[in-house]
Amino acid sequence: MSISRKCVPFTPFEGELPKSTIAIVTAGGVHLKEQEPFNIADELGDLGYRIIPEDVNSEQLMVTHHHYDHADADKDINVVFPIDVLRDLQAEGFIKAGARKHIGYMGYTMQLKAMYEGTAREIANEIDKGSRADAVILTGG
Amino acid sequence: MKGIPTVLITVSPEVSAQMRPPRALYPNGFKIGNSLGGPGMRDLQRRVFRDALSLLNQNTRPGEVVMREYPDYGQYYEPPRVKK
Repeated sequence: MSISRKCVPFTPFEGELPKSTIAIVTAGGVHLKEQEPFNIADELGDLGYRIIPEDVNSEQLMVTHHHYDHADADKDINVVFPIDVLRDLQAEGFIKAGARKHIGYMGYTMQLKAMYEGTAREIANEIDKGSRADAVILTGG
Repeated sequence: MKGIPTVLITVSPEVSAQMRPPRALYPNGFKIGNSLGGPGMRDLQRRVFRDALSLLNQNTRPGEVVMREYPDYGQYYEPPRVKK
């Protein structure tokens, strides 16, 4: 998937929320505790991303990011990665479901071109292929 | 593939606006690291999430950031400014 540089890459939403599946993509450095942490020792930033499965327990998640204060996220991951909130909205019928996968990456890089042309496209493709998401909520730190 | 509809929840509205996001919500005064609200504020987190999703069905102007007020957050943090 390519990303437009010249205009706002606006994709219309033609569905209804109660029939829609939603994915979360966060730049807040969220990942599973068992996954490799983001490399905060690299001053250029870490261009990688981590796939977070749909059935994740929020207690299994953590933050590795050194460019914002994530003390609150350490107490409640939902402040940047609202996975339990998503399930609440599903339970109340506001949305149909959470997507099959969500994504965490570290939203800090000095390698903007590589992030824009590499990581961002890879994340878009991850969502496009196999997540079954009808729409995506993006969060930062 | 026609693309994926997105909504950004941002606490740095000026910074985010530079990237001209298709749809974006700024909860006024939320601090960095509190995109959905404070820890344990589940009712507030639900409202922010619902409001963000609801932008999918509203006539927002692509590239602009929509600001909403959530007084029960109980705090106000000045967002980072873009140097001009």
